[in-house]
Amino acid sequence: MSNAFVSLQKLSLAYGQTVVVPELNLDIREGELIALLGPSGCGKTTTMRAIAGLMTPQSGKIHIGGVDMTHTPANKRGIGLVFQSYALFPHLTAFENVAFGLRLKKMPVSEIKSRVEEGLNTVGLSHLADRKPAEMSGGQQQRLSLARSLVMEPKVLLLDEPLSNLDARLRLDMRTELQRLQRATGITMIFVTHDQAEALALADRIVLMKDGVIEQVGTPDELYNNPASKFAADFFGFENIFAIKGSNIIGSNGSLTANFDAENGHLAWRPSAISVGSGPFQGTVMGVSFAGEQREYVIKTDFGQIKAANPAADPVYEIGTLVAFDLPSKSAWHLPNVGNDS
Amino acid sequence: MTSKWTSRLIIGLTLTFLIGPFFIIIFAGMSAGDFMTFPPDGLSLKWYMKVFTVESFRESFALSLFLAIFGTIAALILGVPAAYAISRYNIPYAETIKTVVAAPIIVPGIIVGLALLRYLVVPLSFTVTLALFMAHTALVLPYAVRVVSSSLNNLRSDMEEAAVLLGCSRIGAFMRVVLPNIQSGVLAAFILGFVTSFNQVPVSLFLSGPGVRTLPIDMLSYMEITYDPSVAALSALLALLSVAIVFLAEKFLGFSRYV
Ligand SMILES: Nc1ncnc2c1ncn2[C@@H]1O[C@H](COP(=O)(O)OP(=O)(O)OP(=O)(O)O)[C@@H](O)[C@H]1O
Ligand SMILES: [Mg+2]
Repeated sequence: MSNAFVSLQKLSLAYGQTVVVPELNLDIREGELIALLGPSGCGKTTTMRAIAGLMTPQSGKIHIGGVDMTHTPANKRGIGLVFQSYALFPHLTAFENVAFGLRLKKMPVSEIKSRVEEGLNTVGLSHLADRKPAEMSGGQQQRLSLARSLVMEPKVLLLDEPLSNLDARLRLDMRTELQRLQRATGITMIFVTHDQAEALALADRIVLMKDGVIEQVGTPDELYNNPASKFAADFFGFENIFAIKGSNIIGSNGSLTANFDAENGHLAWRPSAISVGSGPFQGTVMGVSFAGEQREYVIKTDFGQIKAANPAADPVYEIGTLVAFDLPSKSAWHLPNVGNDS
Repeated sequence: MTSKWTSRLIIGLTLTFLIGPFFIIIFAGMSAGDFMTFPPDGLSLKWYMKVFTVESFRESFALSLFLAIFGTIAALILGVPAAYAISRYNIPYAETIKTVVAAPIIVPGIIVGLALLRYLVVPLSFTVTLALFMAHTALVLPYAVRVVSSSLNNLRSDMEEAAVLLGCSRIGAFMRVVLPNIQSGVLAAFILGFVTSFNQVPVSLFLSGPGVRTLPIDMLSYMEITYDPSVAALSALLALLSVAIVFLAEKFLGFSRYV
């Protein structure tokens, strides 16, 4: 065996006849913080449910801590899951929701009390201990659900979009708190998110999924700087991706004759790598929007649309203006033709 | 203008026919005379008092109460798991099962009573009380399944999964998470079942034997012999009891949501 703590081997998951995940292989080390990233409907929740034991895989194995748990019932796996839908108990107060699992463990009352209080404190809900879930806001419910799983100190904690309903500020706080907890307790965590910035900020490794298949696994650095496919590049902010043939760009509307270093595959630029104002190419401004540090442009060219960005302090080009721009070779990311990625 | 008066007339008639008999019964029971007449023959409460002294009324009231309480409890013990299975698992023919379960209210009570008498009581020599108990359980079951189903459908199933992941067994999750959240539905089903069972006549008619009668049947046979206003008084008391139960249920449970 490798040093994998959670190991998914040839996992195949389906709802009835609908196969959602055809074959998934993934090894996760003990204490690792993994982000599961991918577009809506790609099978993230499904994968989490399988790991937790809430659905039986059609085939394949799930090992946790070196033990084959493929057929272990969910309540015997020692895994926590924070549901995308919170799944709180409506008839119990916040305190009792968090205490639920601890009471089942027959823990002494005084210890339950101190653990629940600590848990509620961690998520900033101490003052709402006596409220029922229906009397709490969406974000408060989400944090309550998080606290309920945290106090159980599971070996593996699965979090299905645990921060999706929080405002930017709270989200950042909870993110830091999660990371601190994870470092302090050494819990292996897998969290689902739509938000690439969150994945980059939080994870030791990112697993990028598409249609039930893992596109790429790697550190935030690797995925951000070296995306392996067009899909991954697009997901991590390379919004300008063009096919290359014989050093020329082939866009959706036509081609652009230029001398790039690549012979084939794709070249990709982040908007921030393309600045408007000077350069060998020309296009018409179709849209301009202010985004704090920078001003973003959508430019129509002979070969397709370009997304560019200038520092916000630079002069503004209004819609309809003809502007010059450059596609600098040195900041292009080259994606060789791989597999079915066309 | 005309249509306004027409609709008022219709509403008035409807109310008269629905509620009118109720008032007639109340006043008929207040008669000072010896026969049931309307308008009453003078006013007194003596028949309302007499009801409590008739020995057979006391016995049959006890039996009816017993059937209504334990028949309904039995129906809930069978009906709650059935409703749970129908709403949670994708069981085949769920709709058919619901229809079959509802059969005792669709099939005329006379036939149910006759069938139970012919095939249970006579050949298997079941006691009358046991047959009555089974009949009432079966009659209340459809209400139990329906009412509990509707409150289960409003309950998300993910919280049971959450309970399991926190260490519960599936049954534990049902007891700790599902039951507390459907308790008002279960209580509503109990009240509906209780009232249904208590007022049930046709089925009990066939199954009642000498000395073992439910209250409505006992009132029928009492009336065949003695035509005094005590039956009217008793009817009025029972009707008031039903109204009081339903009123309290509506007030505390929002009963009409479930029915
Ligand atoms: N109970 C179900 N029965 C049938 N198909 C389902 C069921 N649940 C999910 N699916 C399908 O499985 C696919 C994966 O769903 P899943 O919930 O895992 O997506 P997800 O990646 O978590 O998406 P999101 O980010 O929107 O939560 C979807 O196409 C969905 O339609
Ligand atoms: Mg999901």
